[in-house]
Amino acid sequence: MSETHRDDRAAGAGQDELLLAMAGITKRFPGVVALDDVDFDVRRGEVHVLFGENGAGKSTLINIVAGTYPQDDGTMTFDGRRITHLTPHQSRLAGISPVFQEFSLAPDLTVEENLFLGREQARWGVLRKGAMRTRAREVLHDLGFDLRPGARVGQLMRAQQQMTEIAKALLQDLKLFILDEPTASLTERETNRLFALIERLKGEGVGIIYVSHRINEIRRVGDRVTVLRDGKKIGTVQASNVEETKLVEMMTGRRIDALFPDIAAMAGDAMLDVRNLSTVDGRLSDVSFEVRAGEIVGVAGLVGCGKSELARAVFGLDKFSVGELDVLGERVAHPTPTGMLKRGVCYFPSDRVAEGLALSRPVRENASVAALDLADFTRWRFIRRRQERTAIKRIVEELRVRPPQIERSVDHLSGGNRQKVMLARGLTRDIRVFLFDEPTVGIDVGAKTEVYQFLGELTKRGAAVLLISSELPEVVNLAHRVYVMHEGRIVNHLEGNEITEEAVLASFFGTGADAPSAGAAAG
Amino acid sequence: MTALTPPEALGRRPLKALVQFVVLYGALPIIIALMYLGFGLIEPAFHSGENAINILKQSSYLAILAAGQLFALLTRGFDLSVGQLISLVSVAGGLVMLDVLEGSPGAVALAVFAGIAVGLGAGLATGVVNGVCVAVFRINPFVVTLGMLGICMGFATTLSDGFPVFNLPEGLTNTLSRADVIGIPVPVIAALLVLGTAYVILNHSVLGRSMYVIGSNPRAAHTAGLRSRLHLASAYVICSVFVAVGALLLTARTGSGEPNLGGGLMLQSIAAAVIGGVSLRGGEGKVIHAVYGALFVTVLSVGMNLIRVDGTIQQIILGIVVVAAVYLDQLRTRFR
Amino acid sequence: MVDTGLATERAVRAWRRILERSPAIGLLPILLILLFIFFGLYEPKFWRGANLINVLRNSSYLMIISAGQMLVLVIGGFDLSVGAVVALTSVAAGLVMADLYAAWPDAASLAIVIGLVVGLAVGSAIGVINGVTVAFLRVSPFMVTLGTMSIAFGLALYVTRGVPVYGLPDEFTREFGRLRWFNVPVVVYLTAGIIGVLWWVMNWTRLGRYVYAIGGNIHASRVSGIPTIAYIVITYTMCSFLAAVTGVLLTARVGSGEATLGTTLMLESIAAAVIGGVSLRGGVGRVEFVALGALFLALVTNGMNLLRVDSKIQTIVIGAVLIIAVGLDQMKIKGRGQ
Repeated sequence: MSETHRDDRAAGAGQDELLLAMAGITKRFPGVVALDDVDFDVRRGEVHVLFGENGAGKSTLINIVAGTYPQDDGTMTFDGRRITHLTPHQSRLAGISPVFQEFSLAPDLTVEENLFLGREQARWGVLRKGAMRTRAREVLHDLGFDLRPGARVGQLMRAQQQMTEIAKALLQDLKLFILDEPTASLTERETNRLFALIERLKGEGVGIIYVSHRINEIRRVGDRVTVLRDGKKIGTVQASNVEETKLVEMMTGRRIDALFPDIAAMAGDAMLDVRNLSTVDGRLSDVSFEVRAGEIVGVAGLVGCGKSELARAVFGLDKFSVGELDVLGERVAHPTPTGMLKRGVCYFPSDRVAEGLALSRPVRENASVAALDLADFTRWRFIRRRQERTAIKRIVEELRVRPPQIERSVDHLSGGNRQKVMLARGLTRDIRVFLFDEPTVGIDVGAKTEVYQFLGELTKRGAAVLLISSELPEVVNLAHRVYVMHEGRIVNHLEGNEITEEAVLASFFGTGADAPSAGAAAG
Repeated sequence: MTALTPPEALGRRPLKALVQFVVLYGALPIIIALMYLGFGLIEPAFHSGENAINILKQSSYLAILAAGQLFALLTRGFDLSVGQLISLVSVAGGLVMLDVLEGSPGAVALAVFAGIAVGLGAGLATGVVNGVCVAVFRINPFVVTLGMLGICMGFATTLSDGFPVFNLPEGLTNTLSRADVIGIPVPVIAALLVLGTAYVILNHSVLGRSMYVIGSNPRAAHTAGLRSRLHLASAYVICSVFVAVGALLLTARTGSGEPNLGGGLMLQSIAAAVIGGVSLRGGEGKVIHAVYGALFVTVLSVGMNLIRVDGTIQQIILGIVVVAAVYLDQLRTRFR
Repeated sequence: MVDTGLATERAVRAWRRILERSPAIGLLPILLILLFIFFGLYEPKFWRGANLINVLRNSSYLMIISAGQMLVLVIGGFDLSVGAVVALTSVAAGLVMADLYAAWPDAASLAIVIGLVVGLAVGSAIGVINGVTVAFLRVSPFMVTLGTMSIAFGLALYVTRGVPVYGLPDEFTREFGRLRWFNVPVVVYLTAGIIGVLWWVMNWTRLGRYVYAIGGNIHASRVSGIPTIAYIVITYTMCSFLAAVTGVLLTARVGSGEATLGTTLMLESIAAAVIGGVSLRGGVGRVEFVALGALFLALVTNGMNLLRVDSKIQTIVIGAVLIIAVGLDQMKIKGRGQ
């Protein structure tokens, strides 16, 4: 790790310390400029945090470093050499090791097989399984990861897959380590172990790019912070002495109070009443909550705490084993998506690509799809295309979908506009209960405020809104009541002035736990 | 496409228009037209009105089958049982006609109707089994329809003992194959009806809309509250019923119930649909694509017959053309 | 939610537990044993050594070609052309052998060797074309192999005009078709050897590891530096090579080069692989179970023959068995997925 290029030293000590230098990086995708003239560099032995909202361009930048796709413009120097035409493989050979949120693991192979994927120890093509197993054990032990080398990766929990991915990255000759939101699925203990590991790597002179949008983490591990917003670099600051409010301002481009609209609570009758609900797969146990008309109810908790499953079970996507569910005062014994929509409940999934939208189909079809049983759109199971067009056009304009072309296929739209197409479903029929699962994931700041305003509009109209989110500020600033979940149970309920980030965080690890230090907490 | 400087752009405008046409409608209409012209240059008989009608007639059978296959392809599946179902429908329909005629000689119309009803019934039943296995039991469509292929083949050969069912009523062939209405052969009319039905289902009904969504993203269809199982199963039912219609027309053409009628038609129906522009990944495809594909395959084979290309060579050429067409289509989607 | 719901749920869980506890693929070995007992009780002739050897020999051809199909399925592909490769190989090897043998009747073994080499090379060439078109041009494997199937069958028919190629050296049919060691046809040993080697390749070599990795997650494989294109080409070539081997062996068995030799093998090879637990989505599949899948199909056919089930009805039974076998397997995957 210490073999620096002494020859290049003429440029001065500062230059020598630079492991990676990127200048004027620009990257365009159909419909968006993901990165616009961004400069970025990493020194040896430094943790450089990339900070920004989802969709700010963080992922694009690290993907360019990792060789996933080339930049359209700009130069990149790594380890003293100018780099062009980088492939993922070359970048790894050069000592760049990325750990993405989307893992590069083969699900049908074991942990050990994945660790060595692409660089198996072999003689004449014949694998030396014994040697590899020994080495895998060593590495896992060394890292303190609790993983069985023989376990099949596809059957592991997400956190374990994350650890496998990290171990895989560390197995090679490492110069630049890239971590993309690594703590999203880790418990506090695992997070601490990861941070210890980062300290050790820093000591060995490895440069680290750490992507995050959690402020507490940044203070803990970061040396410098570069803030991106909407594909542009806003600035680089020292992590040690930066104010939290300053970072948030840089990230969002506005003061935090301007970001969230003030939404008055006008709680009416209970629209959704859930008692003692448990799911078949055991991810929810004995959960009770209610959502009333005219209020926003937040649900917070760590990834995997069961908060998404809450909405999924209510909407009939996850089966429940016991429990009672009342919608608008009526008992629902077997919820199904079709039936729940009829009753005025609509679910907006967090993963819009996987579960929400038919990407290859036009906006019009995606917007009207949840209302095809209504006389507004159909007659005798045939579609009234003219009515459909007019109605969707009106809704699309109301939601300010850009471009406002209803025949465009959804895959050409940006994240924010895709979400608006999803939201349009809530307006095509009389929806009284809105279940939002991470409504602002992957969309830019402008669209975020629009979504928040949309939530405000809904409550004003007397709808009941369930807001499930990993973005604490969102929950804290918008919700009138908050449920906090931990390991499939609701562990806390906060109301009115009780709702503060500290109070919510305090319950993240179960009731009675002391307020945890940084770690997995959301910023 | 790189930006062109103005003078160049002027000179290339026709080319650009061509590219745009291709991007919009695919290269196939142009290729079909060129092939039609080309064969005519080699063999003037190709351009006769008689031959044009012949091509239309020949392609209507394949268009019907490809339209059926379209429904399976749209929902991310395919139907391998198509070919053997044709044989089964042909044999079953033929046998019923003979039975009815035996019972009451002279009741030709009754016999033909009974045969058609039984043939369509066989198609319906096959489609329901396919659909239920795929949509309810969630078995891979490849496996389901492969199994169904064996089952249909078994029934077809068992019922017929492996021999063609001869002595079908003349009326069948006269009405369903040779007859015409104001100069348009009955098979062409039948194809127009089937294609029209398919068009209405796909573009104007909830069912069709749902199939596109299922093919594009099955999970999204479920979250959007569509009754996706029912709709998915319906795709296979529609496919099999269309195929049964095609099989009855083919039976009328040959004039006998044939246990080997469908042999190569499974692959041809898939090839025609995919050449026409239906995506194998589901969610993309229109009725017109089935027509393009059927016309293309028919023009090619009729043309090659006329210029006396050896049958086996034709097979080789068709193979190359299939791969090339799919590759070109891929380029088109990349262009977009 | 209510009692009946709980009861059915309990029943479903119990059923799933049974399925999950059954080893790896589970039902297939059990089913094989049950069939074996059932056929024997019904028709004692079934248990005779001669008949069992016959079953083994009949399943050998299918085992080899299905093992090749498995490789392609595991890497996430598909090969419809295997049957046509059998036909083309048979014709090519047959023509070369017959011509050389006619020219130099004394050099029979040379004719055989050259015929074999040409046949295997021609067959493998189809695999190279498949692999290159799939991996480089990124055309759907279904369409590519559909095309090459048409091409290969067309070539075979064109070269032979549909007439079988006679006049092969007797030594060829004797050595490869009829020879027995310890009363077991040599084909069976050869098949066992091929399956054994493939098992070793899939479990102990880099090639096998990469085939699973690419089929499981091609993106991850590319990022990990695996030359995916090369491995896809190699896999398709291996598949066609194994189909070519089957073609040669079948030619020896029937004693002539025939363009109609492999017509049913494409579907049967996929059926055997799928019954043997290979996933059509790639990444999953074990050669030993594919061999069992082929054995299963051969056993069912043989048993039905002995029970004098009409051969036409047999196709119905096999079709139904395929759907049911995979349906049960599907239940098992669902059970595990929870």
